[in-house]
Amino acid sequence: MGAAAATASGWSRRRLTRERLLGGSVPYVLVAPVVLVMGAILGYPIYNLVRLSLQRYGLFELIQHHGTYIGLHNFGSVVHDPIFWHTLVRTIVFTVVNVGLTMGLGTLVALLLVRVSTWVRLLVTAGLVLVWAMPPVVAVQVWQWMTNSQNGVVNYILTELHVGDYFQHDWFVTPFSQLAMVTTLIVWGALPFVVITVYAALAQVPHELVEAAEIDGAPSWRIFKDVTMPVIMPVLLILTSLSVIWDFGVFTQPYLLIGQGHIVPSNYLMGIYLFEEGYVRTDFGRGAAISILMLAIVAAMSVVYVRRMLRVGEVE
Amino acid sequence: MRSRVIAAALAVVALGVVAATASAGVQRAQGNTLTVWLQQDAQNGWPDIVAAANKQFQADHPGWTVSVQYQAWTDHLQKFDATIAGNDTPDVIEMGNTEMTKYMAAGAFSDLTSFKSQFANSSNWLSGLAKSGMYRGNVFGVPYYAGSRVITYRTDLFKKAGITKPPTSLAQFIVDAKKVGVMEKGVKGFAPLYVGGEDWYTALSFVYDFGGTIARTHAGKWVGALDSPKSVAGLTAFKAFFDATQSKSTATLDGTNPWPYTVFSQGLTAANYGPAWYTCCTGAKYKSVTGQFVMPSHTAGKPMPGFLGGSDLAVPAQSNAKAAAVAWIADFTSTQNERALEAKGNIPNATNLLGSSVNERAAARSWFVPQAKHWVDVENGNILKTMLSQILTGQLSVKQAAKVASQNITQTLNES
Repeated sequence: MGAAAATASGWSRRRLTRERLLGGSVPYVLVAPVVLVMGAILGYPIYNLVRLSLQRYGLFELIQHHGTYIGLHNFGSVVHDPIFWHTLVRTIVFTVVNVGLTMGLGTLVALLLVRVSTWVRLLVTAGLVLVWAMPPVVAVQVWQWMTNSQNGVVNYILTELHVGDYFQHDWFVTPFSQLAMVTTLIVWGALPFVVITVYAALAQVPHELVEAAEIDGAPSWRIFKDVTMPVIMPVLLILTSLSVIWDFGVFTQPYLLIGQGHIVPSNYLMGIYLFEEGYVRTDFGRGAAISILMLAIVAAMSVVYVRRMLRVGEVE
Repeated sequence: MRSRVIAAALAVVALGVVAATASAGVQRAQGNTLTVWLQQDAQNGWPDIVAAANKQFQADHPGWTVSVQYQAWTDHLQKFDATIAGNDTPDVIEMGNTEMTKYMAAGAFSDLTSFKSQFANSSNWLSGLAKSGMYRGNVFGVPYYAGSRVITYRTDLFKKAGITKPPTSLAQFIVDAKKVGVMEKGVKGFAPLYVGGEDWYTALSFVYDFGGTIARTHAGKWVGALDSPKSVAGLTAFKAFFDATQSKSTATLDGTNPWPYTVFSQGLTAANYGPAWYTCCTGAKYKSVTGQFVMPSHTAGKPMPGFLGGSDLAVPAQSNAKAAAVAWIADFTSTQNERALEAKGNIPNATNLLGSSVNERAAARSWFVPQAKHWVDVENGNILKTMLSQILTGQLSVKQAAKVASQNITQTLNES
């Protein structure tokens, strides 16, 4: 957009006409409503969030409707909280695993979709859309029923299939197994979006390029790496960066699947840490500080992807 | 460029919304509407008593309507906080007795001291329960009802195992439970007694039975005491009891998923330790063979001290219908209604109303959590549950786990 505006003013530099003035301001006029709406629904809450993060704001202050400014104390106390750092590392690992699985499996299923018959493709797509349509809260309930240690169908089936003795097996014993169960739920729920989008991107890969590579005798993984990948790269990158944002701040699935009664510092993810510190402990100032730190971290992480994506766009 | 905006926007939405907004789910008391928050226990167990109170209230206050909104224990405080932020609080709220102190200390409730005489039997209120609604000598919570914990058991299985009378000591109980276990060992997944391993109300009863406690005050500070020798003896006895009567798989369950009575109704256990109202749900098949007895102490002939759970009714400071709220509470806790609550297996709020049910006999010895502002954070931080799962799964020794929990409790209770 910036480049376009520059050339526009370049070729008409000498003619200061009404047209030119109008032409120059049109993009800004067009973008103004969006900027205004963004400012109202994002800017104002963020302003309030920042203000809250600089205050001591607990239950007492909530009742008085009046906080006390304490500078950066909330940020200091969060940064000096070992739980924050442990949670951050855990959340990053969790995000990498979840995004990796989502993108890997999603791309594989999308590649599969290209090769199967129309009927199968229709069935798979319908299944994916149904998964996509399922609200997370409902999915959590289904997961809980299936994995219930006393009456769950997963234990029953695994035992019947002689995979092992899963009678009354508890799938949520350790923080690792708890987060592994959350991972299955999240990856399952995130696959449809990735599969359908990557499948759409695969349709953009020129068939003749693939054919030419095949004729040259390139193995299929080379074709994927050198022909298909570069074409679908922008889509993969934006999907990855969106997934990172979603998975880093995930709350509903872990909170409900692990259950409030089993949420402890050793299985905190950032979203849950924020909720526990801010809401459960009614320390809203500290909660606001945590959410601002999270915001900064996610922004920093997405910048890497967004910049790479822009570069890919330039090469094209 | 646009994708950066999208990314930033999504990040902001994802995080900002969580932190910055709080939606209130209540309708403001408009005109002459009294908004009352009760727990679902009332909705399931005694809706008739609620209706009776509303009827009485409306007879005395023509033109008023009562809007009773039932809440769940797990999230009612977060919802309440949201209503405080939005100046939208209910006019009456039921609070768990362990939840009161934090809110009284912050000034969330109206001082009801001057109205005390309006509440029936207020001079005979159960002292433990009344204390939970008092802060610095003033009354903020009106006792509603209490509950102790008893053993709900299958009389047919005990009889079949040759047990003629309920055990009167912990050691005898373990012997009896083992007998039932051996007899029923053909039933897959059967445990003679079923409680969730992380059900801390059960585990800490052993601590108090052995003379231990959760925390003491020393020089104006709270000190966690679960690692004291007496507490450790209690926890060790709990582990021994658990190992003798339970299947290992319940070590990490907290007794809410599945509920112990569900396991009972499936024929997979001979006994539960929990609130007296567990008889509600032991299943049609076993209704006629469901009995109850008082959990025996390790000292023969005594009951084991049970957690005295209970609820208070409070009037949020922001309510603009304080007088009506007080009148409704008085109607709801009338002698007649408290007697009706007792008939449903609860402990009524005053000593002069006490009967001799198994629940009330069990309450002869009881314990309560430390009355510290931050106790509720210990509960919600799952410190006790973590300790118990560590002990029961053998991750840590009793001493190690108790020490960690004790340190966490000291730290949490002394937060400013």
